[in-house]
Amino acid sequence: MNTTMQPAQPNPIGEIQSGKHARQLQRSRRFKQNVPLLLMFLPVIIFYATFKYAPILGNVIAFKDYNFFDGIFGSPWVGLHNFELLFSQTQTVGIIRNTLLLSILQLIFGFPAPILLAILLNEARKMIFKRAVQTIVYLPHFFNWVIIGGIVLTIFSMESGFINHWIEKWTGEPYPFLYKAFSWIAIFISSGIWKEMGFGTIIYLAVITMINPSLYESASMDGANKFRQIWHITLPGIRPTIIILFILATGNIMEVGFDQVFMMQNPVVSNISEVISTYIYRVGLKGSQFSLSAAMGLFEALVGLVLVLSANWLARKFDQGLF
Amino acid sequence: MKASYGDKVFYAVNYTVLTIIALTCLFPLVHIAALSLSDSSAIMSGLVTIWPKGWSLEAYGALLQGTNILGAFKNSLIITLVGVVLSMLLTTLAAYPLSRKYFYARKSFTLLMVFTMLFGAGMIPTYLVVKSLGLIDTYFALWLPGLISTYNMLVMKSFFENLPEELQEAARIDGCGEIKILARIILPLSLPMLATLSLFYGVQYWNAFMNVLIYINESDKYNLSVLVQQMVQSQSVMQELSDFQPEDIQNITPQSIKSAGVMVMVIPMLLVYPFLQKYFVKGVLIGSIKG
Repeated sequence: MNTTMQPAQPNPIGEIQSGKHARQLQRSRRFKQNVPLLLMFLPVIIFYATFKYAPILGNVIAFKDYNFFDGIFGSPWVGLHNFELLFSQTQTVGIIRNTLLLSILQLIFGFPAPILLAILLNEARKMIFKRAVQTIVYLPHFFNWVIIGGIVLTIFSMESGFINHWIEKWTGEPYPFLYKAFSWIAIFISSGIWKEMGFGTIIYLAVITMINPSLYESASMDGANKFRQIWHITLPGIRPTIIILFILATGNIMEVGFDQVFMMQNPVVSNISEVISTYIYRVGLKGSQFSLSAAMGLFEALVGLVLVLSANWLARKFDQGLF
Repeated sequence: MKASYGDKVFYAVNYTVLTIIALTCLFPLVHIAALSLSDSSAIMSGLVTIWPKGWSLEAYGALLQGTNILGAFKNSLIITLVGVVLSMLLTTLAAYPLSRKYFYARKSFTLLMVFTMLFGAGMIPTYLVVKSLGLIDTYFALWLPGLISTYNMLVMKSFFENLPEELQEAARIDGCGEIKILARIILPLSLPMLATLSLFYGVQYWNAFMNVLIYINESDKYNLSVLVQQMVQSQSVMQELSDFQPEDIQNITPQSIKSAGVMVMVIPMLLVYPFLQKYFVKGVLIGSIKG
């Protein structure tokens, strides 16, 4: 900070007064402009207060023994009892482990997929072909998990799926894809890749087009083949994007989408497929243990917040921070 | 420029891999479509892959007669259309004031909104709020809690901020109030962005699943997602068809009727897909550059 102040310019008195007046005028003009804006904004404030902040405060039921008669405010406080109960159950540890396992696998296999596909698409020189492939691979993004779950259950079903029909022909008996831990996880992860791989390329393709084409020309003059060009030009060109998207993805590691698990889950594999969101649904909403499941939800949200903030802190180190 | 031998190999491999990936994306859909159009004997013997065997529309017939799929389709349409209108209205009401530099406390309001993106309230407390407002079993339970997507709001806000100032100043000097400036100048200049965000919301409402599962208990209010989910996961989908007549439906199998249910969700998406693709690609890029 510069501590030595510039000496104020001696102002004629009239100018000071007019400046004061102008400020007042400006202030009242600003107020007049703000009245319609505030009126417009009022419903927005009500929305955020009711459906975002009231539920955030409603998380206090995690520290209470909630019941319908006494409501959120009347129910008795129980301190950390719900958390103690939650973490004394062996099931809880398993659920958190499943959540982490599935989302880390999603990250490891799902994250590089759009990068690879974007590089391949970028090297496709026939525009019609490239457009056609793009149109096809973007499509699954728009389907919800009911559609994809329905497709997966049909294709891999024991009795009638066509894959098991072939397997039965070769080995004599069908393979229970959806009832074995390993194959269930593999199907879970690959269906996620199937849905989002194509759509994920959009952002990488946009960044690749911003790479200066003369770099490729001169590399090619120098005798660099396609692999070397990709390795030394394309990949470094999209590296900042890769870093920022990777950091954002690690921030979401506590979240495994409810819909996907809910559609593919079955009782046989519940010991590896039950995740935090499905637990909250089953125990909280179906089992009416509101306080216990709210404690789980609060735990998830807090860890998620810490992860996002530290991911952003990391991103800042790369000059890519979001906020 | 002549391609070297290595590059020729590279291109050949590249086109092959891309073709395989595209086919992998397409195959499950074609397979399901084929199943929904095949007759039961072909399905039972596992002959159906990408082309229907023994053409039969009976699965769709049974779906229309035996389930409430038309009602669910209508419900999905209502949820989507009303939802998009409400969401766009509120998102505009949020984004416009926040994009004005002279708006009081715009920084703090924006911060409070962004915070809700980082720290979700959770399923249970949100459910209790919705329940205490008496919204269970009404579509307001689907519309209100997600009325504004903060992400979409930020996209709209930064779009408004980047519109040229001159026109707005001129209008202000001519005596236009805030609402007139918004309606006559800002919104007409933002039509492509508004279309993009409407489609974002539209896809979100059309695909709504978890909220319907949580908030809607009456089965005649289900949307397509939940109706089809219950069919797909049912062990006894044939028995659940109302007006169940064994001889009527001997030519359909659980797979064909489940596939037909999935197709009823896929087909409307395919019909609007040209618009979706065009505007979503734009939207992803707007959102990623200025978010």
